[in-house]
Amino acid sequence: MSALQSTTALQTARRLGVSESGLAIVALVGFALLPIFVSGYTIYILPQYMLYGVMAMSLALLWGYSGILSIGQAGFFAIGGYIIGLSFKWIDFGNPAYIAFVVAPCVGAALAGVLGYFLFRAGVRAAYFVLVTLAVSIIVEQVAVSQSQWTGGWNGMYVPRMSLTLGTGTEISLFDDGPIYYFVLVVVVAIYILLRWLVTSKFGKVLLGIRENEDRVISLGFDASLYKTAAFMMSGALATLAGALYGTHAGFVSPSLGGVLFSTEVVVWVAIGGRNSFLGALLATIVVASLSNYLSAIAPKYWQLVIGVVFIVVIIHFRGGIAGALGRSGAFGKHKRGQDG
Amino acid sequence: MLSTTISVLIDATLLTFTLALASLGLAIIFGLIGVINMGHGAMLTLGAYFTWWTMEAGFPFAAAAIIAATCVAIIGLALEHFIIRHFYDKPFETLLITWGFFLVTTEVIKIAFGTDIHNIPNPLPGSFDLGVQQVPAYRMLLAIITLGLFLAIGFVFYRTTIGIKVRALTQNREMASLLGLDIGRTYKLVFVTGSFLAGLAGALICPMLSIDPYIGMVFLVRAFFVVIVGGIGQILGGTLIGSFLIGGSETLFALFSTQTFAQTVVFALAIIVLRFRPLGVLTSATRT
Repeated sequence: MSALQSTTALQTARRLGVSESGLAIVALVGFALLPIFVSGYTIYILPQYMLYGVMAMSLALLWGYSGILSIGQAGFFAIGGYIIGLSFKWIDFGNPAYIAFVVAPCVGAALAGVLGYFLFRAGVRAAYFVLVTLAVSIIVEQVAVSQSQWTGGWNGMYVPRMSLTLGTGTEISLFDDGPIYYFVLVVVVAIYILLRWLVTSKFGKVLLGIRENEDRVISLGFDASLYKTAAFMMSGALATLAGALYGTHAGFVSPSLGGVLFSTEVVVWVAIGGRNSFLGALLATIVVASLSNYLSAIAPKYWQLVIGVVFIVVIIHFRGGIAGALGRSGAFGKHKRGQDG
Repeated sequence: MLSTTISVLIDATLLTFTLALASLGLAIIFGLIGVINMGHGAMLTLGAYFTWWTMEAGFPFAAAAIIAATCVAIIGLALEHFIIRHFYDKPFETLLITWGFFLVTTEVIKIAFGTDIHNIPNPLPGSFDLGVQQVPAYRMLLAIITLGLFLAIGFVFYRTTIGIKVRALTQNREMASLLGLDIGRTYKLVFVTGSFLAGLAGALICPMLSIDPYIGMVFLVRAFFVVIVGGIGQILGGTLIGSFLIGGSETLFALFSTQTFAQTVVFALAIIVLRFRPLGVLTSATRT
């Protein structure tokens, strides 16, 4: 029965996948054409939301596809931001941004690898993992505040905008909002495609298997803790990379970027968008973050409250988020409740 | 040197009892009915705010603390009755829902009480002279109250009918229900007791800190590590030992470095302990 269920889950995923690709292309074309019609603040702020979206997708990989929840993703994101800031400060050869883009994912993956080794090897409960990731988020914020000689403490740290250098010595400045918009868009699309490929690969299928029935996967001879650690490393690396790019785009990183509140917000985005859909997570993040920005100007007091209430309602009633609800409505085939745990 | 050792020991003991107090409600809910109450921090915060609010209205501290704890217990009751009880068989959903409770409660606190920092006067100023060190009288009292609470809970747990029912429930839920134990009511009782203790902890701890909407957050994570390191279900001994390991090592490391660094090291140590004793230091690993 369980094997049958996971086959239907995979089929549903595949069927959803087909229509998701169509939606993804529409969204991509929309974002690519957007700078023709609008300019100014929208074009400035959208890439930051897209990078939040990358962080959300990194969480969807963990939560939706591996059944592990992390509420420390923002901790990784902030580490990335600080790495690119320090890289611009300390490195005076080559292109500091490129070095940060290599170092950041390595640091993120290493940190996730160490945590994953300690937790998954010991076979601790999924809930403990949540708590440890919460601690990661708190620690990152506290370290960022206390090590002010490096991070600037509460005042934060300014990061210059990067430019693209090519081997031949040509330099393309990304200082203006237009060029960096397209640069970020390309990176986000590349990460999206990578993730979509990853979950259809054998690796992704084993992850899905672990989510559906970990004991069965272990008895089939797979080292489940290794796969979970690898998924967490992948997720940590992506969140850190997104953070690095965010740092140079926003030009400023501060301790609250790694804090618990921001980490929680990521979970809310993914819960609303649908933890089983990368596109759902990405688009929900962009939409909710835009709405947050807009509504927190109008009703600063109540907006966070609304987010919290929506979060509870989604957890209780719509386990698949918006993408899951669309999938259930019949258009994308049957989607059984209770499969996505 | 000797006097330094003694004063470190005193500091560690006081912090142990504070942590034990802050963790007790969590340990009870987590250990007895398996709900990972991420709203624990919010309950501590609520306890602190209700105390401040009641004292503003003119009540003395002791009465304010009891009123605050009762109010938090009522909120816990509502949370359990309307939401949590439908999800007892899904531990991961309860984790998320209680996290949502934390989000909503924090925002409601911000709206109702503002984001300003509040302080309440020390209810027991003055200090005891222990020869080598002056110990603030209130912290001393707090340790004694905590000890009293632990003894009281131990008594209820091991010497009363309610205690037998709760223990029967945790040992074998199906059998207990077949023997006529009302599972739903017992779960409710445990959840409300845990909420009451969380509110009381918030009320008793808040004179030592300034009250802000995130006062419970750091305690949430420390309390979880206390419970996990001590061992789930080891409500009395485990919580005390866990508090001692977390609080004691924090005091020790804070001697050589900053508070932040000490906390980071302690969190890291707790993770390493988990690697080798996934069920806590008091429980031998029997997990396959």
